[in-house]
Amino acid sequence: MLISGIHSRPKYAGLRVDRSGTHHIILSDTPRDIARMVEGLEPAPGPTEVWTVVGACTVTAAEERGPDGSVVRRAFRSRPLMFDMLGHRLARESMGLRLYAIGEEAFLWDVAALARSFGVDGDEIQLDHAGSERRRVFCVHCRAMTENVRTNIVACVGCGAHLTVRDHFSKRLAAFMGVQADAEVRGDLPPVEEIFR
Amino acid sequence: MTTEFLVPLRVREVEPLSPLLKSFVFEAADGGPVHPAGAGAHLRLLLQNRHQRWKNAYSIVSNPHDRSHLSIIVRKVAQSRGGSAFMHTEVRTGDVLASNPPANLFPIAKTARRHVMVSGGIGVTPFLSYIRAFQSSGAPWELHHFCREDEGALFERLLAPYGGGRIHVHAGQDLSILDASLRSQALGSHLYTCGPGPMMDAVLEKAAGAGWPKGKLHSESFGGEAMGGAPFTAVLMRSGIEVEVGPETTLLDALEAAGVDAPCLCRGGACGQCETAVIEGVPEHRDHYLNEAERASNTSIMTCVSRSKTQRILLDL
Repeated sequence: MLISGIHSRPKYAGLRVDRSGTHHIILSDTPRDIARMVEGLEPAPGPTEVWTVVGACTVTAAEERGPDGSVVRRAFRSRPLMFDMLGHRLARESMGLRLYAIGEEAFLWDVAALARSFGVDGDEIQLDHAGSERRRVFCVHCRAMTENVRTNIVACVGCGAHLTVRDHFSKRLAAFMGVQADAEVRGDLPPVEEIFR
Repeated sequence: MTTEFLVPLRVREVEPLSPLLKSFVFEAADGGPVHPAGAGAHLRLLLQNRHQRWKNAYSIVSNPHDRSHLSIIVRKVAQSRGGSAFMHTEVRTGDVLASNPPANLFPIAKTARRHVMVSGGIGVTPFLSYIRAFQSSGAPWELHHFCREDEGALFERLLAPYGGGRIHVHAGQDLSILDASLRSQALGSHLYTCGPGPMMDAVLEKAAGAGWPKGKLHSESFGGEAMGGAPFTAVLMRSGIEVEVGPETTLLDALEAAGVDAPCLCRGGACGQCETAVIEGVPEHRDHYLNEAERASNTSIMTCVSRSKTQRILLDL
């Protein structure tokens, strides 16, 4: 019972290095083949960093340089650690920076929101979806966020309402809107299906 | 067709700032508050003497939060169309002038985390109201002003009340002095430039070279520069008349002189209001409104600044 044709549903068109920028940071929510997934990295477009969430306690080397020294790689144990570092960095950055994020949608739009809070928007940031389609859902009734939703109907972590996960997306909240599915007749729910794989 | 909505403004004060610059303070003729004018807004004054009419746009320099008056600074331009000379020689305290309400084609970017302004000559005027707005919002800013060497002292004096340290007057200096600054501005900065066309082009190019994206670059052109050119004839299809456009006048001024009520707003090639369909002939585009493809198609012309490459141009007017 998804409502289709909603314009706020983000579309993604791949990442391409924007050579009008003077330096670049590419962020990924999991280890990926960045050279293959970001177009135009060769020849190096100026100082470039690739930041990756590895999600493992084995991460030790926080920073390493590529063979020619042009690309700096940073690994992070977790997203919170990456976001802390990113905020710290953006507070000190200068004009000319371009940001790129690749990963699941909640990650992409968390990066976008943090970047926006530092005035980075429009042409200065590119997002591309990769990985699971699972969603972060915002309950329009209690405002709680339910993470990693794979089904068309989900119980809100905040108020327990059964929410229909809509395609209606908020860039500000970095979440899809969830609206009570059985608001008319309590308990009258459509079949639950896994649709966001 | 334009619907003219004019407000009467009484000249409260005229103050010469230099042989070429005069400041005018207006109040509402009815004694009430003046129309609201955001930072960067301009007034378009309807000026007339027995022989001629002018509609000249001037940036408002007064504090946007103060509704008691509106101020402008007028530069007497040597080869002007006469409007600024009229302001300098004819307009006196107590006179009532008709004006369009303030309009803004050069607003502040509210989301900017820092504001960097670059002006040339009299192009500093919109930034005087910007600075007042920044002073009340607390937003960080800096101004780089470029002028002729002999005008350095004048602009130093004019800008002195606006806060030292953040204002840099580069008299007789080259734009290359901006290079280091453009490369080190904090993320989230916006750049605004106002002044002669070639200067603004050079500033925007420098900023783009330092990695500034288009969305954070803003410019306002003043009508008047590169205004003249070869004379041509505008043939108006709907009105069925021919208008001669002389070497020293604009197409829009010639149309108005001929009694044609042509649409217009900014008179500086920026707003797009005066866009007119071209049926025959090749425009010489001088505006900032049409994009490359629209220019190449030669199907429309901005009458306020553009001219004709062909001796005759047939317009849908």
